[in-house]
Amino acid sequence: MNLYAYCLQGASVPVALEGVVGIAGVEAQVIEHEGFVVVVSAFHGEKVPLTRDTVFAHEGVIDHVLAQTTLLPFRFGTIVTRARLESHIRSQKNVLSASLSRVQDCVEMSVKVIWDGDEIRGREIAAVEKQSSHAQEATNKAMGPGAAFLAAKRREILGDEMLKRRADGIAVWLNGRLGNAIKESVVRVQPAEALVIAASYLVKREGLPQYRACLELAQAERRDLRFMTSGPWPPYSFSDLLS
Amino acid sequence: MIDQDLHQWEQGDLSLLETLDHVLNRGLVIAGEITISVANIDLIFVGLNVLLGSVETIHEVLEQRNNTVETALDNPDVVGQ
Repeated sequence: MNLYAYCLQGASVPVALEGVVGIAGVEAQVIEHEGFVVVVSAFHGEKVPLTRDTVFAHEGVIDHVLAQTTLLPFRFGTIVTRARLESHIRSQKNVLSASLSRVQDCVEMSVKVIWDGDEIRGREIAAVEKQSSHAQEATNKAMGPGAAFLAAKRREILGDEMLKRRADGIAVWLNGRLGNAIKESVVRVQPAEALVIAASYLVKREGLPQYRACLELAQAERRDLRFMTSGPWPPYSFSDLLS
Repeated sequence: MIDQDLHQWEQGDLSLLETLDHVLNRGLVIAGEITISVANIDLIFVGLNVLLGSVETIHEVLEQRNNTVETALDNPDVVGQ
């Protein structure tokens, strides 16, 4: 029989799971091994169907445990045998302990920043071109098709560079605004995308009010950006050290 | 009533997408032990690639849905079809 794995935590804090139902409507249970507790449920089959129900069942069990203790969440769809799970814990004991210490008493908060990159690119290029407009105008008129192509290419590269600088600037600015409210961050910057920043912040549970206050101020400061915020999440972005 | 339903639908699906973004991409991994069947992918209204790629697309889809509802309200015949 296989097991579906939800999360792993230290064995020091007992976890209450009475009546908690997971994937396929099967009750969640704990397995203790080498000083760790893994929350699992029996799973008959090879694959987990990706549906609204299974996704929320996975997250529901983990949220239930997260309310009680610090944990490392497994990625959705982790099916193992008990022997394989125990062997993994034995071989990764030190890494797992270090990972748990890293996220001790913390949750993950998510911020997505959306911008209109095309509009910003256009505005930036226009500003630069305006500065050297007169000299450039004369040159442009005398350009052949090859030179015009290169000039267009140069503008494109210039636009990309400016966009990247702007996007990096937003990431640094946001980190700065959140300051001491966050312990760690994983930030993905995508200047070419509308979703320019996808950030995950590791925040101490007791620091959540401060984090929220800082984020609110930041949002008020940058009305030109759209923010999508969510959390608290289990520390998914800070648990994938073994991948 | 429709506005309220739409609002609830929007919140629910954004919540699903955010959850998917977390549970599919990240988390503790035991090498080779992740097996997902995507046969029921239609339950995710904008598709797996979209949710991993761009929140903007989600907003576009929501906007389109919004427009469809407005069109239906403007034209009762459409509602009846």
